[in-house]
Amino acid sequence: MTDTPTPPEAEIVPARRSPWRNLSVVWLVPLAALVISLLIAWRSYADRGTLIQITFENAAGVAAGETQVRYRDVVIGVVEEVGFTSGLENVVVSARIDKDVAPFLNDTAQFWVVRPEVSTRGVSGLNTVLSGVYIEGTWDRTGGTALTEFAGLESRPLVDVTERGTRVTLRTSDGNTLPAGSPIFYRGVEVGRTEKPQLNNSGSVVEIRAFIEAPHDRLLTTATRFWDTSGFQVSFGPSGLRLDVESFAALISGGVAFNTFFSGGRPVQAGHVYDLYSAEEDARENAFARVSGASVTLAAVFTEGVSGLSAGAELTYKGLKIGEVATLSAFVDDSERQPTVKQLVTLRVEPGLMGLDDDATAEAVLDFLAPEVEAGLRVRLAKANLLTPGLVVELAEIPDAPVAQIDRDADPYPVLPSVASELPDLNATMEGMMKRINALQIEELIAQATRMMASIDALARDDQTRAAPEAFVGLVEDARGLVGSAVVQALPGELQSAVDELRATVSGVAEARLVERLAETLNKADVAVGNIASASEQAPALMEDLRALTEKARNLEAEELVASADQLLQSLDALIDTEAARALPPTLNATLDEAKTLLTRLSEGKAVDNANAALESARGAAEALEEAAQGLPQLSARLDSLVSRSEALIGAYGDRSEFNRETLGMLREVRTAARSLADLVRMLERNPNSILFGR
Amino acid sequence: MTARQAGLVACTSCGRVHAQAVRECARCGAALHSRAPASLQKVWGWWLAGVIMYIPANLSPMLRTSTLGRESANTILGGVFELMHHGSYGVALIVFIASVLIPVGKFVAIAYLAISVRYASALRLHARQHLYEVVEFIGRWSMLDVFVVAILSALVQFNFVASVHPGIAAVTFALSVAFTMLSAQSFDSRLIWDADEAPAT
Repeated sequence: MTDTPTPPEAEIVPARRSPWRNLSVVWLVPLAALVISLLIAWRSYADRGTLIQITFENAAGVAAGETQVRYRDVVIGVVEEVGFTSGLENVVVSARIDKDVAPFLNDTAQFWVVRPEVSTRGVSGLNTVLSGVYIEGTWDRTGGTALTEFAGLESRPLVDVTERGTRVTLRTSDGNTLPAGSPIFYRGVEVGRTEKPQLNNSGSVVEIRAFIEAPHDRLLTTATRFWDTSGFQVSFGPSGLRLDVESFAALISGGVAFNTFFSGGRPVQAGHVYDLYSAEEDARENAFARVSGASVTLAAVFTEGVSGLSAGAELTYKGLKIGEVATLSAFVDDSERQPTVKQLVTLRVEPGLMGLDDDATAEAVLDFLAPEVEAGLRVRLAKANLLTPGLVVELAEIPDAPVAQIDRDADPYPVLPSVASELPDLNATMEGMMKRINALQIEELIAQATRMMASIDALARDDQTRAAPEAFVGLVEDARGLVGSAVVQALPGELQSAVDELRATVSGVAEARLVERLAETLNKADVAVGNIASASEQAPALMEDLRALTEKARNLEAEELVASADQLLQSLDALIDTEAARALPPTLNATLDEAKTLLTRLSEGKAVDNANAALESARGAAEALEEAAQGLPQLSARLDSLVSRSEALIGAYGDRSEFNRETLGMLREVRTAARSLADLVRMLERNPNSILFGR
Repeated sequence: MTARQAGLVACTSCGRVHAQAVRECARCGAALHSRAPASLQKVWGWWLAGVIMYIPANLSPMLRTSTLGRESANTILGGVFELMHHGSYGVALIVFIASVLIPVGKFVAIAYLAISVRYASALRLHARQHLYEVVEFIGRWSMLDVFVVAILSALVQFNFVASVHPGIAAVTFALSVAFTMLSAQSFDSRLIWDADEAPAT
């Protein structure tokens, strides 16, 4: 058997050709392209951001696909669509916001359209003129529930939600001066802003929401006062003219300032309501612890008029304000025989301001005051200010006051004893001085002088007097013969002595120091006016000076002088008027006749020379008088210049106050008086001899 | 008779004829193939990649222009419509032809050629050869758009006043054009004529 086993028919299966074997590598390219495309698509979809809707009243300038949404000037999204709410009420802007930012858009998010804006506070959004408007957003950074629908604002909110601070409400009656965005100042530093003034529900009060930035908001307490600093403020007071301007922005757009004038306020919560005062002064005056509330009410009764006193006037004690006048009322006091009308003034006293506890009781206050009252503490009225007619009430120590006590049981309030005020009645003093000046009997003096001169004139006109020279000529002629007569020799000596006396009298008049005294007084007045000019703020000192001047004027011996002069003149008049004087010419004639006969017997003598010497003396006396009189024009000129200086000064001072008017009036009077004096002097200057010789 | 029936293969680079067994051209060293291997696969592969790239090229912005702060981005078709809107019909037509008509036409033409190799076609062989030549020639003109974008973004850079940046579509469009050109090149035109021999054998 050589059968070779035949192997079984091998089943040959052709290797199955894999369909992938022929696959070209090139297929990787579309695959990669597809993968990359899908990847890009997926990423751009994933990065697409969140679509939000913002509702605006109008969307001027907002364009789909172009307008950006920005946060802190960084683009965070683009507007995709601009449409309307149903009913076309509002514009809905759909914007795609970066997905990194979108989760932060919580309920504090605010959006507004930034447009170019020019206001008193500056120019903003100018870049949008070229680039078109954009939507700006702001929100706090706390995250929270993300929202997709927002209500847009009309304009940039005044207070960014991320700013920390305190919102308060200011109440005022006039919102005219404070547009939205007005700055709020604290000691001149801008620390906040106001929002748009709004009327409250009833329309009676304007409410302005204000925002004080942190950390300045901790300055706010219940004792804080706000006031309006809009525009500028001009005030005129003892310190002169004041012009207050807070800032240029405040000048144009208004502003608010606040300060805390006294301690003790409590910190306030957001939303605290403050009153807005019209000026710092008002705020400051009002600041007196109305909030503390623990005031004690006392009363005082005045019999004198309280004109000038008003509710709210200060109550001062040792120069410090301790309270204010609460009410004023009048009542009829019929406890005395004659019913009289008296004024009841109630006084609100702050114990805290007196140094007592803030919440001291009325009893404590009265216990405190009782020994003082026994020592002479009295209530009286005083002038608030030299320049204004207002009055204040002061607790003054009157050393020699009659004994009085606090009437603790009086109804309705305990009554403090009062005394009549010794108001520095400047007006009365001034008037008194005027009256005195007016009362200087210059006119009478002139009348007397005129009368005397008339008498002298009459004497001179007397025929007998006229006859005298002729007789005298005869006398002289006759006198030639008269030599060496003892009687005649003695006559010129006596005449000379008489003339000497007359001269002494005239020099006495010249030296009567009228001129010096007046000059001195006026010098003082001049100094006083100089003081006024140099230190107008020292008004009280000025008043003292003026008062001293008045006193001096009062003490001036002008009256006496005038009276003396008057007396002298009257004496002279009387002398001339006497029968003896009238009889003098005939007697003189007779004497002269006798002398003539005497002189005829005198061939020679020195009588004439002596008489000439006597006449020289008389002329010297007249010249002395003239000299004295020459000083008077200078004096009056000086007085005139003083008056015009004073007038100019007072003119510069303004013509508002009563004081000025009265001072001006006084000075006019003084000038009138000075002019009268000048007239007199001029008359005397023209005819210096007339006072003696009656021409 | 074809070269293949004669047992010959011609070098596509230098044109020298070799025996079919020869793998490399004795003259220029190029690889010798009677028919390009996996030619249709390559055609379809590049073609698909080109089509894929053509989609984002049309959807994403081609050009981002910012003028005085206003930024705008246009896709190819958006740009065409905008040009028409502004009355530049001529330019719009050129852009439309170069960026839409030609690429789309190329896709259709290449696909038709590749399919017609397998299945009988109504079109005459000569017409198909002609179509192939046109596709090969015209393909580069589709790059016109890409060149415009490249030149614009190089020249128009005036910061705030005006600036032009290429969009993502510029890249994808360029890729798409490149892929279609590769696709057209991968097509072995000798395949067209194989159909001519089939009825004869």
